Amino acid sequence: METSGLLNWIIFIPMIGAIVVLFAPAKQARSITLATTFLVFLASCLLFGPFLNGSYHEGGYGENMQFESKVEWIHVGGFNINWHVGLDGISFPLIILTTLVTFLAAWASWNFEEWKVNRGPKGYFSLFLLLETGVLGTFAALDFFLFYIFWEVMLLPMYFLIGVWGGPRKEYAAIKFFLYTLAGSVLMLVALLAMYFTSADVLGGAGTFSLIEYATDGRLQSVFNDPNKTFLWEGWKFGHVMFIFLFIGFMIKVPVFPFHTWLPDAHVEAPTPISMILAGILLKLGAYGFFRVCYPIFPEAARDLAYFLAVLGVINILYGAFCCLAQTDFKRLVAYSSISHMGYVVLGCAVMTDVGFQGAMFQVLAHGISSPMCFFLVGVIYDRAHHRNINDFGGLWLAMPRYGSMATLGFFASLGLPSLCGFIGEVWVLLGTFNAGSVHAEFTWAKPMAVLAAFGVILTAAYILWMIQRVYLGKLREKYADFPDATARETAILFPMAVLAIFMGILPKYTFDLMNGTIDDVLATMTASLSSVSSFAFGG
Amino acid sequence: MNHMYENLLALGVLIPLISFAILAFWGAKIGKPKSSYIACAAIGLSCIMATYVLIGWSGLDADQKADLTFAAANNQFHWADFGKIPLTVGVKLDSLTVIMFFMVTFIAFWIHFFSVGYMEGHSDEVDGQCKYHRFFAYLSLFCFSMLGLVISSSLLFMFIFWELVGLCSYLLIGFYFDKKFASDASMKAFITNRVGDFGFIVGLALVALYLGTFDLEQAAATFSQQFSASAAAGFDPAHSVGIFKGWNLYEMFGWGTETDPMMLSGLGVATLMGIGLFCGAMGKSAQFPLHVWLPDAMAGPTPVSALIHAATMVAAGVYLVARVFRLLTPEAQFFVAVIGCITLTITALIAIVQNDIKKVLAYSTLSQLGYMIFGMGVGAWVAALFHLMTHAFFKAMLFLGSGQVIEGCHHEQNIMKMGGLRKKMPFTCWTFFIGVLAIAGFGIPFAHIGLGGYFSKDEILVVAYERAYNHSHGESSAKHAGENLEKKDAESHVRLASMTDASLSQFSILNSTLAASGGDGSHAHGTPEKEKIGATLPHLPKWMFWLPIVIAYVTPFYMMRCWWLTFMGKPRDEHVYEHAHENWKMFVPLVVLAAGTFWCSFSLFRPMIAEAGGVAADAPAVVAIDGVAEELKDLPKNKLDPTMLMVTHGEGLTNFNNPHIALGWIVGFAWIIGMGFAWLIYRNGVAVARQIKQVFPLNHLHRWLEQKLYFDHIYDNMLVMGSRVVGTVCYTFDKWIVDGLVNLTGILTRFLGNFTGRQLDMPVKKNDFGLVDAIANGLAALFHDFFGSIIRRPQSGRIRSYVILTAGTAAVVLLLVLF
Repeated sequence: METSGLLNWIIFIPMIGAIVVLFAPAKQARSITLATTFLVFLASCLLFGPFLNGSYHEGGYGENMQFESKVEWIHVGGFNINWHVGLDGISFPLIILTTLVTFLAAWASWNFEEWKVNRGPKGYFSLFLLLETGVLGTFAALDFFLFYIFWEVMLLPMYFLIGVWGGPRKEYAAIKFFLYTLAGSVLMLVALLAMYFTSADVLGGAGTFSLIEYATDGRLQSVFNDPNKTFLWEGWKFGHVMFIFLFIGFMIKVPVFPFHTWLPDAHVEAPTPISMILAGILLKLGAYGFFRVCYPIFPEAARDLAYFLAVLGVINILYGAFCCLAQTDFKRLVAYSSISHMGYVVLGCAVMTDVGFQGAMFQVLAHGISSPMCFFLVGVIYDRAHHRNINDFGGLWLAMPRYGSMATLGFFASLGLPSLCGFIGEVWVLLGTFNAGSVHAEFTWAKPMAVLAAFGVILTAAYILWMIQRVYLGKLREKYADFPDATARETAILFPMAVLAIFMGILPKYTFDLMNGTIDDVLATMTASLSSVSSFAFGG
Repeated sequence: MNHMYENLLALGVLIPLISFAILAFWGAKIGKPKSSYIACAAIGLSCIMATYVLIGWSGLDADQKADLTFAAANNQFHWADFGKIPLTVGVKLDSLTVIMFFMVTFIAFWIHFFSVGYMEGHSDEVDGQCKYHRFFAYLSLFCFSMLGLVISSSLLFMFIFWELVGLCSYLLIGFYFDKKFASDASMKAFITNRVGDFGFIVGLALVALYLGTFDLEQAAATFSQQFSASAAAGFDPAHSVGIFKGWNLYEMFGWGTETDPMMLSGLGVATLMGIGLFCGAMGKSAQFPLHVWLPDAMAGPTPVSALIHAATMVAAGVYLVARVFRLLTPEAQFFVAVIGCITLTITALIAIVQNDIKKVLAYSTLSQLGYMIFGMGVGAWVAALFHLMTHAFFKAMLFLGSGQVIEGCHHEQNIMKMGGLRKKMPFTCWTFFIGVLAIAGFGIPFAHIGLGGYFSKDEILVVAYERAYNHSHGESSAKHAGENLEKKDAESHVRLASMTDASLSQFSILNSTLAASGGDGSHAHGTPEKEKIGATLPHLPKWMFWLPIVIAYVTPFYMMRCWWLTFMGKPRDEHVYEHAHENWKMFVPLVVLAAGTFWCSFSLFRPMIAEAGGVAADAPAVVAIDGVAEELKDLPKNKLDPTMLMVTHGEGLTNFNNPHIALGWIVGFAWIIGMGFAWLIYRNGVAVARQIKQVFPLNHLHRWLEQKLYFDHIYDNMLVMGSRVVGTVCYTFDKWIVDGLVNLTGILTRFLGNFTGRQLDMPVKKNDFGLVDAIANGLAALFHDFFGSIIRRPQSGRIRSYVILTAGTAAVVLLLVLF
């Protein structure tokens, strides 16, 4: 297929752009970056046509990857590593999200000169583009080794972007982010090697790194989910250990309690566009890992551990929301709200039903729209006020009416107001969790868990409205009275996110249509490996 | 042609949305007076459509209506899939929708009209910029959401619009958000509503799980089918089906033992669902204990109070209960009744001591909402909705009147500073008085003359009377209901039933349970089931009858007090009095709504609601008393649908032959007694009242009531502060424990690194130890200094020494090897 080349181009155009930025004059860096990200966004939009026409969910999981390309890469030393990329319903929406949010973040970097950082733009913008390649590659990779490499490629630019162009405690935040993610990667590496060598044992010959084969090959599945196969220690089930290693690797990225403390620090120190990317895309890599790696490959372990995962999800939702109530730093509040919202993703995954998965996936996308919006909204007033103390603001809506309206919309989307994007994911996850007992009889904890999680609905309203009151409502303070309203550029950046937030909220069908087929495939794959479950479908 | 009415209604919903979009994007450019015209035109257009539909609809016969309802139910838009359950959205077209739609658009139009005058002075005064258009944009958005809520055929969509009206309420209460109390009030309203929504979500989850659909019609059909099947099995958990099956608490929480698990009885889950859905209504309709937000919501502009916090949005809770009435079990209904009863009592008492004219009205609204909810709870479905309609008219009028007063008195809201305003604003005075009469229940008992409030309140109380005093009522009414159904089967009920079945089977989206129910769905309408259903009705405690009766005497008192202190007597504040004036743009709506109050008392509303009541007749616990049926026979245009259940009274009544006669004696004259009492106390100003409240037990009571029974204190100190404390604790935990562990790991690693690197391996700074290095160096030094000198000595060049040394070493090695 000639479209398969398109995906490769999409992955590498940013890298080419990064090289161009390095050799171009510093003044042109931001234009080149903006043009490159826009080009990538347009190219990814070109994927829509073939993707929607293509039968991406026919023939089961991984059978009909779109834009697939597979090239032998490293075959020395008995390894079987391939350049294998392709898209299905899980990765395709995330690719679009990535190109869009990166483009908007590049535009948000337009006022780089005003940040008063001592480092020049060339390094910033080339690392920025390199980051996009890393992220796109991770979403597209179907070979676990390739996935791992892109995962690491993405890590390094982010480290420098926070550590060099960040706020006062940037080194601390950057190192914390880097080491935390690296710790997760190490566990992932162990799992990767163990899985590879196990596959070599089972299949004979070179083994495989293919994420699809891991999930669909019956021989591999029976070994991976074999309760008698142990790993490292007597009584440690292979599947469980692998699942936990991988899950910890991904949950650091999501982030899930108790591995979440890097996130508020990283957000507070990172410049606005980097926060947008961090919240909008990088957190989604963890969730994507659940969908692509953890669940299809180790369904047995996932079901055995479902209770703990659900508990973690609920803790995330409630604990994150409570922490929000105590924040005085605007950006830290939004960061904790991200933790709370990503809890719905974990909970939706944990219950392993179609509604839960759909809700989790929708929440991933919805949060991918609403959180960059919120971070950008914070950034807009940070650019004007140069501080983020919530209690020091007041009445900003009066000074900046257009911005105030946009902010209300953005934060209400984050709050989960019906007809905006946040609502659908939340309600799907809550109702899916509540009903999980009808699919998995042993999930008797599902109903109380859903009721607990539903308390988050109240807390979310509380912290968001309280924040809105302190920042946007009330008497306009003298020192903010001359703040200019959102500029054309700022409005233009907010506008696509606002439109998408409304669109996804009132017509969720079109978003669901992109991914539901693959989610069904994934669940079907898992069903095949789980003897006692006939279907994950709720209400079927 | 088949879909004309529903399309018109859908269009009527969308027009305000278009107005909102225009005002949101270009409102600032459109400018001050013009943006209000756009909003008025939009809602006016919707109102015209609604009127057209109403007139057309009332000209149809029952069959045609059923046809249209059926056609609308099949004309659905596929919105999304919830797992394998398709979610559809469509217009629920029945008499209730039509009448509600008309009521909302009509009142909303006149309130928009009023707002044009009301906002004239306001906008610039506040901040000088584009707030004027924003007000009308919000009003339009509200109209869209409220109308969407009215026509939704699906519970999920009701929830969505439900939240949207909540958003509009939030935005409009906080319209003067530069004032702290306004933004506080808006936040309080939204969060309190969210507490209710929490229950709503749980209810929705139960609906999805056990009934497998969000469509109101299908959900009700499934519910009634499961109910009858379970009733046939005597609600035995083992043989009940679906939502009546019961939860095994052993599996869930480990309560009980494995062999003898603790079961939540089947009815328990179904009841929980009903209560969950009702929790939403408790939030929106501000029922105890979530009633605290409504009085504060008066911080919004007065037209908003009239439209949202009196006439329409707060009534949405009652409307929701009416819509989900068929999903309520008798226990859930009882819960509804208790909540309503408590609310109507405490809020009416608090209303007595309020001095802010809007607060008095707010508490009276709460009390009247309590009556409606109470009516729903006791099964007076028709009466409660009738009360909703009449209340909407007169309360909107009262609020607009208060707006006129406030605007005329330059934002003075304290009735203690008013008095004598009748001379300055006669229209307002007398329209307000009509409102007072209506809410007081003005009417002449035994003659069937009165205002709407009289009939609707009377009906609610009659049903409560029946439930409380007619012991054999449960069975007898059920029998009657059953018989009645039997009788009417041939005519039109069978049509309704078959329509339900047909609509069920024609939904291509049905899941298997529902398809199975389609066949014997009509079974649920048969007599035996009805009788069983009726027999399960709990008996109403007597206090639940008497409290509303007592409050029926209190209502006229506080309303008369408010009116008298405002308009009658002598002016108590000359300054306020001198500036008072009336504005024609504002009193025209008052006159129209006053006329509406008269009109809706007699005309169309009651029969049409009764007709809609036929749809709710298969609720498990409907109390099928239609007490006013006989009286209404004489009224024009009275066309009771044969599906409406009617029960004649007489059996089991010991004291009186007819409950209406009894009620006539008990509360028929309450309005004149209550108002007269208020007149006696306040006719010469507030001096008498001041004296009364010094008297011993009353002074404490007065203080309690003035503090609104301390609900706000309790909530602020416990819930709000509590969650903030928990938040602080969580964050402190996060910062010092969770993150502390992370940092500790870092510090330990660094320490370990320092230790191994500098103390163990090699010194970097002066005082470092560097063990390995030290050992190496020490060894080197040892070799250099000590062994070196030793070794140097034998290296004398003398061959003999070497031989001795070599031989000695060899001997030692040999010894070691040998032994």
